[in-house]
Amino acid sequence: MTRFSITINGEAHGPVDLRDDLSMNDYLREHLGMTGTKFGCGAGQCLSCAIIVDEPDGTSRTSPTCIVPAVNFDGMAIRTVEGHAKGDELTTLQKAFIEHFAFQCGYCTAGFLNEGQVLLERLERSPVARAELETTIAEALDGHLCRCTGYIKYHEAVRSVILAEPQRYLA
Amino acid sequence: MRASRREFMTWMSAGGISLSMTRLGQAQSVGFDARETLPGRARWNPAIGGLGRIDGEPKVTGAKLYASDFRAADMPGWPDKTAHALLVRAPDASHVYLGLDLARLSGAMKPTLVVTASDIATIGLQVPDFYAGDLFCPVGRTPFYLGQPVAMLIFDGFDAYDQARVAVRDGTFVRFGEETGPIEAENYGAFRFTRVAGPTPESPDLYSPVLAGWVKPGRVQHSPLPVWEPYARETSDPYGKAARYGETIRAGLAGANADLLVLDRHFETQSVDPMFLEPEAGLAWHDGRTGTLELVLGVQSPFDASEAIAFLLAKAKAPFKPKRIKADFAYMGGGFGGRDHTPFMLYVTLAGLFFTGRPVRLAHDRFQQFQGGIKRHAFKMHSRIGVDRRTARITAFAADHVLDGGGLANFSPNVATVAATAAIGIYDIPKVDITTVALHSRGVTAGSMRGYGTVQTLTALETLVDEVAAALPLDPIAFRRRNALPPDGRTMTGNRYTVSVRTMEILDKLETHPIWAARAAEKARPRREGILVGTGVAVATKDYGTGADCSLGRVEIDAEGGISITSDQPEMGNGMGTALASRVAAHLGGMAEEISLARVGVFGELALVTSGNSYTMDQKTQDAAERNSRWVPAISAATAASNGAHVGTHSTSEAARVVFRFGLWPAALALWSIAPADHRAEQWAQATWRDGNLHFADLPPLSLKALAAKAHASRLVTGATTHCFSRWAWAKATFPVQGHRYAAEIDALAIRRGGGPFERVARVAVSFPPTGNNRIGTTYGAACGTLVRVEIERTSGAITIARAYTILECGNALVPEVVKGQAQGGFAMGVGYALLETLPPFEDGPGNGRWNLGQYVVARGSDLPLHDFEVEMLPPLTPDEAPKGIAEVVMIPVVPALLNAIFDATGHRFQSLPVSPSMLKGALA
Repeated sequence: MTRFSITINGEAHGPVDLRDDLSMNDYLREHLGMTGTKFGCGAGQCLSCAIIVDEPDGTSRTSPTCIVPAVNFDGMAIRTVEGHAKGDELTTLQKAFIEHFAFQCGYCTAGFLNEGQVLLERLERSPVARAELETTIAEALDGHLCRCTGYIKYHEAVRSVILAEPQRYLA
Repeated sequence: MRASRREFMTWMSAGGISLSMTRLGQAQSVGFDARETLPGRARWNPAIGGLGRIDGEPKVTGAKLYASDFRAADMPGWPDKTAHALLVRAPDASHVYLGLDLARLSGAMKPTLVVTASDIATIGLQVPDFYAGDLFCPVGRTPFYLGQPVAMLIFDGFDAYDQARVAVRDGTFVRFGEETGPIEAENYGAFRFTRVAGPTPESPDLYSPVLAGWVKPGRVQHSPLPVWEPYARETSDPYGKAARYGETIRAGLAGANADLLVLDRHFETQSVDPMFLEPEAGLAWHDGRTGTLELVLGVQSPFDASEAIAFLLAKAKAPFKPKRIKADFAYMGGGFGGRDHTPFMLYVTLAGLFFTGRPVRLAHDRFQQFQGGIKRHAFKMHSRIGVDRRTARITAFAADHVLDGGGLANFSPNVATVAATAAIGIYDIPKVDITTVALHSRGVTAGSMRGYGTVQTLTALETLVDEVAAALPLDPIAFRRRNALPPDGRTMTGNRYTVSVRTMEILDKLETHPIWAARAAEKARPRREGILVGTGVAVATKDYGTGADCSLGRVEIDAEGGISITSDQPEMGNGMGTALASRVAAHLGGMAEEISLARVGVFGELALVTSGNSYTMDQKTQDAAERNSRWVPAISAATAASNGAHVGTHSTSEAARVVFRFGLWPAALALWSIAPADHRAEQWAQATWRDGNLHFADLPPLSLKALAAKAHASRLVTGATTHCFSRWAWAKATFPVQGHRYAAEIDALAIRRGGGPFERVARVAVSFPPTGNNRIGTTYGAACGTLVRVEIERTSGAITIARAYTILECGNALVPEVVKGQAQGGFAMGVGYALLETLPPFEDGPGNGRWNLGQYVVARGSDLPLHDFEVEMLPPLTPDEAPKGIAEVVMIPVVPALLNAIFDATGHRFQSLPVSPSMLKGALA
């Protein structure tokens, strides 16, 4: 057992004693009831379980949760799909996902949303040239599996957000 | 082939147990009534303005929607704590099962309860015919198939379950003894479809399944394979007659005839997994105090699942027989057919019953889903095609299909027949003879999956046709045009389509598309060294519907103009809720604010009854049954067979039509001061909605809100519930409503006036489609064509899809972006099937419990031409053309188109799937 604390969507959790081999996915879903983060494969292959890790240096990255023990996130700050909207106000990316019919069953959506959000925040810090945009989006999202959509509408949604504010995201 | 409704109704009356089924909503913190609708009026929802999916907001905010999301603490009135169940399955089906090595699950991993075959043997369960087979393999027997459950372990707490789940994964906990070899069993179904057309297109067929009925061989000779030959003295008609016609066709193809091009080819397809992202999961709580069994499930077939569970427990002994079953149905994280009639919910039920008093969750992880989930059938196909060299017309086609059905029958007979009756694709072929047999094997059970046998047989056909065109030689599209079935032509079962056949338009679109037009130039265009370029085309048609399709729908409008919809159709991502809202909006001028799906137990106002099996009943039985105005051939059907748009939305759309015709329209007449006797009073069909206002002639537009208020104030119709049924044609009935005889494509109706209660309107005439329609292969079909350009690296065999185009026809697209999304997703699934996905049979396959996405490769974004894939839909032929089902056909032509493109690039024809880079590299070496 390991003593464990974490900040999720700005809210402190713990300290609590956790089994060393309890996955982060099961901590969120079974201990906290936060089932917006999905379980897809348990092998780190589909990334429907991905969450955002906010690093101390102000950068962010996504991480799978199904194959990573919860205790590996001790002391960290993370964001999950439940934390994007502020009250009833959805983020621009959430709205774009809906308006572009980006998903169908929606089971992979949390992972794509987190990855897309991290990309947007990265581009705000390090814009890319317009000519590199499609490749940048494709590389960012490629680890995520979707069985329903064929991915195109996810890409279109992310691209639409970026192109709506080129001065913010593009060099 | 589905479970008999009669059984269910008999049990319902004999069992004295009430059964309710509803849909599960998204939030856990509010009462059930408040959360059983989606999206709800308080939520931001761009779909009300026509933008986006109606279920979009909960899906981007992580709301609890799916069966796997719910725990006991989320369910109103349940105990807080959830126990966890683990199904242990057999990784071996060639040795005697000796039991579990439970001693290894000690300490923190010790299960609280172990349920085995011996435990369930004595409690009086009766397994429905559809799921026939031991639910658990008994000790001392060889498992019937790889992945057969041997025991269910139930754990009080999550930690014990979690650790045990990982520990048992290697399969060594299941002990085996003497080698017996796999268990042999009879085939699941064998059929022969033979048609011989008359001498001219106008003349009647000489022989066809519609004329003579469907036939199956009567003899099996020391093998699971049937004896197909007629053996005239031993095999009586009707099989013998079909077989004699069939053998004559085959003799013609085998004979020496210089004028006839005959190709004789074998093609094999692989087993694959539907790979829906949410593994199967369910929750059960048997409250011993009240005798209620509550369930949370996520299935494509809510009604049939409830029916099967009810049948399972109908004769159970106390305390295993609940007094009441309450089933809640959640959204599904994908389905693709793989959640239609799976046995999983039977095990969820058992978990609840054996752990009485405590809620139990049974959930597959991905290893378990591979080991126990339904698979697509692997096919072995032998095809012969004869083409007149002078006319380039196909004269005859014969094929033999052998399907690996795996461990349980499931839908194997149905897949075999659908695959066979679809096997001539878009073509007009006067002589056809196809045999098919679905075999039992020790593999994981195969069943329903998107494409349903047709993706297998049409891949074999469309690659064969490409080879024929090359051999004649003739342009592949010109060859298809010359042989395409005309709109009034007969299918291979001998009937005509009753919907549009637009193959020629699709061929025109394909032929003029730049991918096709520039194929030679692209092949010749210089690229970096070692890159081979090829272009491929294929066209498919796929039926939609099952021949016994039905749905239930209710539409209500309040005095403020707010619209709510209740439907029995579940949502698996196919956009059912959004499509329902769209159809209703066409009649009522506004998008629904509340939509409740997968509700099959809440249409009591129709007071429906049923009996018999709608697939097999005879005309005399139907004629007698329909005298009861409450009788329908079937009450509710699964969302399957691409029937969502056509059938799933039909009843709701018709309910909205009634609300308009007898509610909003008479309200408008009153507001316009048009008297009932005025001839304009009957012109309701000419009114149109624009921007939320009703327009008619030169009268002032009326808002939906004003019309709703008037309808309520005048106690006009403000709500309607209907039921529809289709057996390759709609049931039609006439109802007395407000002094009119209202005729519609529905067979039951209830209405509400003003704010009053719903009241049933007894039909005064009904016409159910004849039972003879059960001989039809299909009358509903939708066509789709695909072009692909591939680039193949000679040294590695790596293949890139550089560009692609899909053209389809879907009647009226209810939500065009949903249709487009289906086409994009179907393309991706087809790419996976053609190039990536495969499951080996038997011991090395998923039944060993060690398969996951590490080995099983599905298409990612980088496998697809994300920015160079164009989808086009033919516009509907008429403004009111019915929507067609396209969810399956859109994944089919990409598969043979890829193989044809690979041939164009490499000169090599592959006769099996998937085509991997190593196979390409080998062929190019």
